[in-house]
Amino acid sequence: MIYCLFAIVAVISLYTARHYWFTLNRLFGFQRHPYIDTDTADWPQVTILVAGHNEEKVISHILAALMGVNYPPEKMLVVPVNDRSTDRTREIIDRFCQDHPGRIRPFHRTGGKGGKAAALKDAMELVGTEVILIFDADYIPGTGLIKQLVAPFFDPEVGGVMGRVVPLNVGTNLLTRLLDLERSGGYQVDQQARMNLRLVPQHGGTVAGVRLSALREIGGWNDDSLTEDTDLTYRLLLHGWKTVYQNRSECYEEVPETWQVRIKQIMRWAKGHNQALASYGLRLLFGKHRATLRERIDGFLLLGVYIMAPVTLLGWLLALSVFYEGIAPLHGVIALLSITAYSAVGNFAAFFEIAAAARLDYTRQRICLLPFLILGFGVSIFSVSRAFVSQLMAPLTGAQFHWDKTERFRTTP
Amino acid sequence: MIAALATAGLFALAGALFLLPLIPAIVELRLKRDAQALNVIQQYAGDIRHFSFGFRSYASDLLASLERCVASGETATGTLPHGDRYLLLGRADTTQLLPLSASEKKCDFVVAAGTDLTLPDGITFAKEMYASRQLTGGANCTYRAILSDDEVRLGRASKVIRWAHAAKSIHAEQDCDLYGRISSEVEIDLQAGCFFQRLHAPRIAFGLPAAQQDSAGALPLDQPAEPISSFIAAGRRLVDGDLKIPAREIVEGSIVTRGGLHIGAGAQILGSVKSNHHLSVDSGAFVAGSLISATTMHIGADCQIGGPVIAEHEILIESGSRCGTFDRPTTVSAPVIAVEEGVVAFGTIWARHEGHAVAKP
Repeated sequence: MIYCLFAIVAVISLYTARHYWFTLNRLFGFQRHPYIDTDTADWPQVTILVAGHNEEKVISHILAALMGVNYPPEKMLVVPVNDRSTDRTREIIDRFCQDHPGRIRPFHRTGGKGGKAAALKDAMELVGTEVILIFDADYIPGTGLIKQLVAPFFDPEVGGVMGRVVPLNVGTNLLTRLLDLERSGGYQVDQQARMNLRLVPQHGGTVAGVRLSALREIGGWNDDSLTEDTDLTYRLLLHGWKTVYQNRSECYEEVPETWQVRIKQIMRWAKGHNQALASYGLRLLFGKHRATLRERIDGFLLLGVYIMAPVTLLGWLLALSVFYEGIAPLHGVIALLSITAYSAVGNFAAFFEIAAAARLDYTRQRICLLPFLILGFGVSIFSVSRAFVSQLMAPLTGAQFHWDKTERFRTTP
Repeated sequence: MIAALATAGLFALAGALFLLPLIPAIVELRLKRDAQALNVIQQYAGDIRHFSFGFRSYASDLLASLERCVASGETATGTLPHGDRYLLLGRADTTQLLPLSASEKKCDFVVAAGTDLTLPDGITFAKEMYASRQLTGGANCTYRAILSDDEVRLGRASKVIRWAHAAKSIHAEQDCDLYGRISSEVEIDLQAGCFFQRLHAPRIAFGLPAAQQDSAGALPLDQPAEPISSFIAAGRRLVDGDLKIPAREIVEGSIVTRGGLHIGAGAQILGSVKSNHHLSVDSGAFVAGSLISATTMHIGADCQIGGPVIAEHEILIESGSRCGTFDRPTTVSAPVIAVEEGVVAFGTIWARHEGHAVAKP
């Protein structure tokens, strides 16, 4: 039992060190934005897939925004992927098609397997361009975003591109404010640090792009995956394609406004991530492929982030058990110092990261909410652990993975 | 009784101590002082003409008044809505009327000229300047910003602090410092010794005026006359170490090297190129697509690059090379860029830290 606890502490310490490394890199290291200044080029043809299921509250916003971008209109085709919607989504899309002839070609899907990856897979029949961009329907791209996301594809090493997600409905309630801080830490620090350090920036499946030839090489969309973005990241990596992160390519999104929706969302992410860990983890670490050593290690740690929740819970249980069984593995003073040091440094690694992100974003007052993140982390740790357990039990219970659509909250039609 | 009170007091104190660090959080949650979405720039201030458009809009009333001054041949002064004072010059011979502070030769007015304007040496213009006709600056002048509907000629060792935009060409004499955004609808030409950051024009020439150079970047001999699309789709070759492409070799498809890459003289790459270390291109080479280095890049003389030229640290481009074409403009970007006289680029050159036009050795 005690050795198991030691192992858990070692793994947690590794992630703690990783948080600090990323944060210090963002604060003091060399920042890589190699493609962001490409503002003039012989721009390639691009297809923009807008994935949606019952999106009547938001679909018109993204279509209107895409019609206003500064990408050459004759080189850009928008394909709304209307996945079996039962609300007014189809009607709204068709109206946009009439208003913008030749610029929007809808893909109305009425049957087939559920989930975004399956919908995107079916929609590929309309895609004939080398560069594909993907947005979820609740996103609102800015004028220059398409050029920014296409620019990295001039690099023949790049297979995938990811932009930065910025919550739009920040001020709605405590949850949206906490998610705003989490997103800030995740993108402004985590993703950009991975980009700086030539590690594994993660493809997010929205505000993102993929190269068609790379996608074909890796076998297309994996419709068995709950997180097609994570799956894509690792298959690209294993085939020698880079995913790059563009921190200055920002796009608004709508974050969940209720805890129920948030819990469903994070549980799906956790299951999808764990799926990818099972599928690619060992192969990434030890397999014969083109990823560098640092990409292998970081990629594996990234795959393991959702496993850390049940691991941490197990660590707490073991620590209590060890205490009540009277096992004293270390000298009392050393143990006390270790606990104190970890409380001072380890527990605050994630908070430090988010505080650094807020500073980099030039926001000030919102950082006061940092103590409430304990609440968000608490909910996440139990939700993710629950997802993990249900995944483990699935073969016994016969439960099938299914796609939970994230509810929209925008009120304007 | 006392023990119970003491216990209750202890709990209350512990509770208060627990809540104390939460007070700023609770205050922020209630007052929402910083609850707006991050300011993601929807209007795309990244457009190089963003500030010039803004100034034209800001000074639109002033430009209407300028037309009247030109018609009557008079000068006029006044104050813009945000409090800036302005001077309208309606005649070509009125620069002696510039309101300069005696000691510093500094003009604190927004100046708008409706006719050709030739400026004396050594003046600092602390506010924006507008010229509807040709603007010829003196040596050692400093400008905050320039908007011109015609041509701009900057005298030797002049400085532009924020931006300049001209409907026709911008010509900078030796040793000018061009900070910020410099754009033209026609051409920019910089003489040796000029420093720059961001240049954008259909044609950007270094060292030689347009009349003395080929008109649209004609390709050197033995290179494909028909331009290939600079975005190369399929077929790439991955190399784990360094790679040397021999002189005059023709390579179809793209190349990615995990090490350095050397492209020999006169070689033709009918694709894009990426090197994760130093990338050097010998003279007369042709790359149809993009040329990208994760570190530094050296482009030899008389090379032709079709697509974007990007290095994460530094680029040196030797005389006679061409980046992009008139019909297929492109971007050259790196933190530090050095460009020799005789180089022509079509589109954008963006040096985040410092760009330098250097004399041909």
